Amino acid sequence: MKAAILTDVTKCIGCLECVAACKRENKLEPDLPRLWQKSDGLSAENWTSIVRRQEKRYVRKQCRHCIEPACASACPVGALHKTEKGAVVYDSGKCLGCRYCMMACPYGIPRYDWDQPVPYVRKCILCYSRLNEGRQPACTEACPTGATVFGDRDELLAEARRRITQQPNVYFDRIWGEHEVGGTSVLYISDVDLGFLSYQPRLGEKPMPETTAIAMNAVPFAFVGMGGLMAGINWIIQRRNKLTGGKEGGEE
Amino acid sequence: MDRVQKAKTVLWSIVALAASVGTARLLFGLGATTNLSDTTPWGFWIGFDVMGGVALAAGGFVTTAFFYIFKREDFHPLVRPAVLTAFLGYVAVIIGLLFDLGLPWNIWHMIVFWNPHSPLFEVGWCVMLYTTVLLLEFSPVPLEETSRYARMRSLLLKLRLPLVILGIALSTLHQSSLGSLFLIMPFRLHPLWYSPILPVQFFVSAVALGMMMVAFESVVSHWLYRRSPATELIGKLAKAVVWVLGVYLLIRVIDIVASSELGLVFSGSRESVLFIIELLISTIIPLVLFSIPVWRRQSRWQAVGSGLVVFGMVMNRIDVGGLTMLSATGGSYIPSWTELSISFGIVAAAGLVFLFAVERLHVWEKRPQDEQSQQFAMPRFDVISSVWLGNPGMASRVKYSLSFILVFSLGVAFLPWEKIQSKGVPQVEALRARGGDTLVVDGNLDGYGVAFAHDKHVETTGGKDKCVVCHHMNLPGDKQSGCYQCHGQMYTSQDAFRHDWHADPNGAKLACVQCHTPGDERNAKSAKQCKDCHSDLIPAGAAVVVDNYYAPPYADAMHRLCVTCHQQKATEIEGKQALAQCASCHGTLSGQNVLAADAPVTWPSSEGSVFLPSQKLTRSHKK
Repeated sequence: MKAAILTDVTKCIGCLECVAACKRENKLEPDLPRLWQKSDGLSAENWTSIVRRQEKRYVRKQCRHCIEPACASACPVGALHKTEKGAVVYDSGKCLGCRYCMMACPYGIPRYDWDQPVPYVRKCILCYSRLNEGRQPACTEACPTGATVFGDRDELLAEARRRITQQPNVYFDRIWGEHEVGGTSVLYISDVDLGFLSYQPRLGEKPMPETTAIAMNAVPFAFVGMGGLMAGINWIIQRRNKLTGGKEGGEE
Repeated sequence: MDRVQKAKTVLWSIVALAASVGTARLLFGLGATTNLSDTTPWGFWIGFDVMGGVALAAGGFVTTAFFYIFKREDFHPLVRPAVLTAFLGYVAVIIGLLFDLGLPWNIWHMIVFWNPHSPLFEVGWCVMLYTTVLLLEFSPVPLEETSRYARMRSLLLKLRLPLVILGIALSTLHQSSLGSLFLIMPFRLHPLWYSPILPVQFFVSAVALGMMMVAFESVVSHWLYRRSPATELIGKLAKAVVWVLGVYLLIRVIDIVASSELGLVFSGSRESVLFIIELLISTIIPLVLFSIPVWRRQSRWQAVGSGLVVFGMVMNRIDVGGLTMLSATGGSYIPSWTELSISFGIVAAAGLVFLFAVERLHVWEKRPQDEQSQQFAMPRFDVISSVWLGNPGMASRVKYSLSFILVFSLGVAFLPWEKIQSKGVPQVEALRARGGDTLVVDGNLDGYGVAFAHDKHVETTGGKDKCVVCHHMNLPGDKQSGCYQCHGQMYTSQDAFRHDWHADPNGAKLACVQCHTPGDERNAKSAKQCKDCHSDLIPAGAAVVVDNYYAPPYADAMHRLCVTCHQQKATEIEGKQALAQCASCHGTLSGQNVLAADAPVTWPSSEGSVFLPSQKLTRSHKK
């Protein structure tokens, strides 16, 4: 089973039970406004938040748990990785604090302990330990209206499509997270546009790790090629100097 | 020598400032000492120190390629200073990283934990390896000062050609990989800078920058030590750089045209202006300048041209490194003075080491006279301090130390202490609730208010005798003080006891001994308690028991008092379960939702616990 969350924006009443449950489950400290916070309510102590859009429309924001996560591909020490069950988790013991994951995430999700002398990256981990126990995440369990539900990704996609076809005049004909950046484990259906959840309204379907893959695959060739080229040029010039009776160069 | 002394004094002062700020950075964390944020996690340190530093150090591999590979004997005078600069540059990059990394003591993790998919992993490895290569390339210079290590030196000299080739290959990799770093940010980086061939652009510009950095450094150091500049040699570099700059300009123009972004260049936006300025300074003006043979042979224009390339290319690294992402992320970021001082401090320290090396080692053809050689010169009387400072060599050291100590203390004094203490929590004064029978409780007037039906609560709580349930502590002589009168700050705790006012002759006019017993230590613990004088201060039957006089923040106080009671009533009264939900208070104000549109809805605290900024936070970090 590939764990996933489907959030139906039309059903959310903005009660914040998911936020409270997340806080309890992950033992997060009370949240205070800080100078370095974004205005979307996520912070080092808030791994999910409710963003209000228009009249009575609430959108829950959290880590999207991409199928091919940019953060995990960017992390130089592999502190972030996608688990088999679907959660993108963080190993604070490996992290060196470069914050490349924060730069790479197309949704701008990871947050940082800016106030700590020993800071860590903090974000939703899809209640990884609960998943291992066979339980669902705290947020979906707490939701009183079923606006955010947990399940298998394929089943949730089917459910989302069923809701859209049933009420095509209510929903946008789009499942956010179905294909974008290679697909995410946190899916949305909505009657308001959710382009604001990412840096650009349309992200394309190319998984983020592929953007750097070409350059990274070229590395061995560039290394050997440049080395070989320099050695070759050096050999040719040295031989030419020898033949023309020129003095040996290179040594002091 | 006074020019060198003045320069060194300035450099030592900058290092001192960085030392004080750097200590604060390590003690108090990134938030207190930088303007970095969740929106802008990479700032000036990455853009200038790391990206700029690596690019500036490109002179090392370019010069060694000219001399050892292409056998250009005439470049010999530039090789040693270029390799030294490159080595110092890389060490500076690593030191800069130690301040930027959140967990700098984990920097070695890259050696054991591998993620070959990450461009940063590759950059890290190349920097480690190339710094080692540069050290090996340069070490024959200090080793020639003594005959003791002659065998080691001759071994290093034999290894030199393979080392040079390895160094060039490694430089090629990570100069370009610094560009690859940003390939994963197509949505952040402005389209004028984002390009799939960023790695190529970075490599070509690094070659140009490397050549011009060597030229610029030569001009500056010759001016500093009043030596005649190497005009002819720099003229050759200037001639060569024209080709490299030409290729670079071509690549960038083709890239812009091919991705049909030409319209963006002339759109008049902030980024378009920045783009044009960057390209003019870094490429077009120097290209024109050095294309004219008469100009590139004059040392004045050499200084200008090389300076422009250095400035412009570093500007390019800062632009890519974060400046042009601000429009996509919607953030604002201006580096704090603390960030700038650490960056410049590291550069200044590298400069001092460079000067130290050229004075003591055979880096240049002719070693400049150092202060040490003047130790038998006539001592001079210092005009500023009117103090006999000893011989000129010693006098200069006294001046450096003095400037270091003075600037270090200035740095400590001007540290952002308020931000350090508040841990980034803004000081927001809580305002009184407004209204009559129904109060609007909204301490910071941000629209997150609650319509609190005071009259209804009086009724359900049990009438006028039950005020004490909520008004758990009142100012002397008052029976229903407003919450804000003690809980005066929205997000931080404060002392409800006003010591100043009690001691003030215009206030309570109390003598010290009236509260503090003579002989005892004068502190809050040993002093008289408030209730000893104000018997009516804490009424019986209150919902909150006051055991100290630190008033929790307004937001917390409200939640704790209301939520506790609501949760209790929700279980006690049949059919009132809804009382425990947030929406029972938040959500309605005369039928309208009080939350402002587009505002995040936050839950201040899961258990209504009190937050003291000084209190140590304990946390569990889960995998």
